Amino acid sequence: MEITRRDLITKIAKTGASSAVVVTVGSHAIREEGEVIPIPSTAVGLLYDATICIGCKACVAACAEANDTPPDTRGDGLHQAPDDLNDVTRNIIKLYKPTDGTPSSYVKRQCMHCLDPACAAGCPFQALHKDPESGIVSWTAERCIGCRYCTITCPYHVPRFQWIGYNPRVTKCELCSQRLEQGLKPGCTSVCPTGAVIFGPRTVLLSEAKRRIAENPGRYYENKVYGETDNGGTQSLYLSRVPFEDLGLPEIGPESVPAKTLRWQRRFYQYFALPAVLYAGLVQVIRKSVKGHVQEAHDHEKETGLRAQL
Amino acid sequence: MSALTSSKLDVIPAEQTQTRPEDRWERAVPVFGIPVVTPFFLVLVALTLVALLLTGYRELAGLGPVSGMNDAFGWGIWKTFNVMVLTALGSGAFAVGIAAWVFRRKKLHALMRMALLTSFLAYACGLLLLGIDAGRPWNFYWIVFPWKWNMHSPLAEVAICMSIYAMIPLAVENLPPVLERLWYFDSRLRPRVEKIEKQLHSVFPYVIALAYLLPGMHQSSLGALMLLAGERVHPLWQTPFLPLLYVWAAAFMSFGCVAGTTMLCCLVWKRAMDMDVLDEAARITYWLIYGWAALRLIDISFREQLGTAFHFDRFAGVFWLEMISIVGGGWMLQQSLRSHDKGKMFLGYVVSSLGGMIYRFSPTTLAFRPNPQALYFPATIEILVSLGFIALGCAGFLLAVKRLAILPGPLYLWHDMASYFRFRRPYIRWTGYFKHGFFGENEEISKD
Repeated sequence: MEITRRDLITKIAKTGASSAVVVTVGSHAIREEGEVIPIPSTAVGLLYDATICIGCKACVAACAEANDTPPDTRGDGLHQAPDDLNDVTRNIIKLYKPTDGTPSSYVKRQCMHCLDPACAAGCPFQALHKDPESGIVSWTAERCIGCRYCTITCPYHVPRFQWIGYNPRVTKCELCSQRLEQGLKPGCTSVCPTGAVIFGPRTVLLSEAKRRIAENPGRYYENKVYGETDNGGTQSLYLSRVPFEDLGLPEIGPESVPAKTLRWQRRFYQYFALPAVLYAGLVQVIRKSVKGHVQEAHDHEKETGLRAQL
Repeated sequence: MSALTSSKLDVIPAEQTQTRPEDRWERAVPVFGIPVVTPFFLVLVALTLVALLLTGYRELAGLGPVSGMNDAFGWGIWKTFNVMVLTALGSGAFAVGIAAWVFRRKKLHALMRMALLTSFLAYACGLLLLGIDAGRPWNFYWIVFPWKWNMHSPLAEVAICMSIYAMIPLAVENLPPVLERLWYFDSRLRPRVEKIEKQLHSVFPYVIALAYLLPGMHQSSLGALMLLAGERVHPLWQTPFLPLLYVWAAAFMSFGCVAGTTMLCCLVWKRAMDMDVLDEAARITYWLIYGWAALRLIDISFREQLGTAFHFDRFAGVFWLEMISIVGGGWMLQQSLRSHDKGKMFLGYVVSSLGGMIYRFSPTTLAFRPNPQALYFPATIEILVSLGFIALGCAGFLLAVKRLAILPGPLYLWHDMASYFRFRRPYIRWTGYFKHGFFGENEEISKD
């Protein structure tokens, strides 16, 4: 039997359609592969205990020094007093002080280094990239097109865009990776006078946090380490007396933002299977339409004596 | 002639609304007898030039000094209006095309050239502004290395897909009117033009199929963009169905844009309207609108967020404004089919498309709440640049419909045009132009 081109395309489309549906909705193995978050082999991170932080801001100054960022004096033109993370501030101490007399708390804000970072999930050309070994999420200038999607996707609102100048950069904490290479600790942890923020492998920090909770029952909010499972797990861990929500750490749940929201997007584009089948089907239908349309146009041309318009 | 040319917009008895057989749209005819450079055209060009100058300033100064964007609202109207909203209006090549080529609504072929042109202009202007909005546009060259793409990022999907779509399928689909002009312009070009046309027709099915797959993908990914923003988008808008609602909204909005623009052009340049075609488009549009509204309401009630629509805040206000104008526009379209009222049909297209525009604008701007204090309002320069790139599209449209056969018209209009050029422009050296009659219509006869 002779196989025409049309038959061939139809057959490919028919076998392709079923396999594409399997790839998209079915097969447990494929689903697991796409959605289980791999934990970096030697994930490092920070543990910040808000209950022992005295708000001295030594870490803010040390961070600026370690990253060689200019002082942000835009507030009053005199003092380095940024009111939030910004294009020259990777680390900041804020004070949460409720008016109703309930306990207040300091909070140190910097990148959470999520296990499944939303900023990297959205970044079109992988300018924001999670290191597979250390798990540090860092920014590469040569890849960034300056679309600012990271400032929209990050649930902790960490990456900040530089609004002035022809060569803007995205600023975020990169755990002082240049210092780590020299065998030094990140700037913020090397100066903290009370040990409120410490650096180490994530597993060690997690057991340290759990030890503190076990030794001081009732001291910590819900006896919980923020970042153990939140947003799929983060490498910056938090202990606090007050609700985490009040410190700007939203309740996200154990499923990471990208896994939760891009599930269908990811399945649809898995191996590009479904779009390919859709394309093959469209070509089949449109080939027939074009044939009919060209015929009609030529008939019309004969009828009117005017050149066919297609 | 039609009732609209006498600017009567009230209800007309049914017997008068039947399109006369000779008024049926049978051929795309250029707008002739009017100069391209009119005062309005000059205003559009001036707006474009101002925008280009300001763009130069923006490239040197950065985004902060020229826009109202800030850390909380990282995206301004360049992305959220010129790209998100206007490419939805410019999805005619996608939505009208699918109806015509895939579902074989043959009457809609009359509107296809309008759809292709508006799409091309909307996408081209949107993409230009996307490049200006990007902080580090020189890094766009990564787009040619597929292994550097982040395949799961909705924004990569939008940026890559949109560029490929506008540069390949849309450009190729817009070639026939250009080739046709060359064919008529100089008889010496005809053999070469015919050869290109033949090659073009053989790749057409593959190009057209690509022209439906790609916009389907990136128009839905435009919706998927805001999925990652999570709860910062108000629950009335934030839904897993956002991609589907976005692409669906683009479908009815682009029908409104194509059919509405065609009606407006017929009104301005006093052409007959073929109500068979326009009725067909209106019927499809109002079904699309009802389906979209039903999906949205079902989705909101299943997520148990219907209550938030009755909190008297600005979000509820925007929600009802959207729903009432979209569904109201659909209802007007449905009514216009019964009463054969062209004015109501036009109004229906305008109102439903405006509602759709607000819907596509909301998740990124009106219903985006990064924090309670955050505020965004576009700066003057930002608005001027945005307007300038819309003006560029409008100027391109005016130039194209006057120089190419884009707008549909009745057969006699083609003959009118032929006599116009024959007798009103005798000083033009029409090389071989009228050798075979006015416009090559007697070629077969004179060959004998």
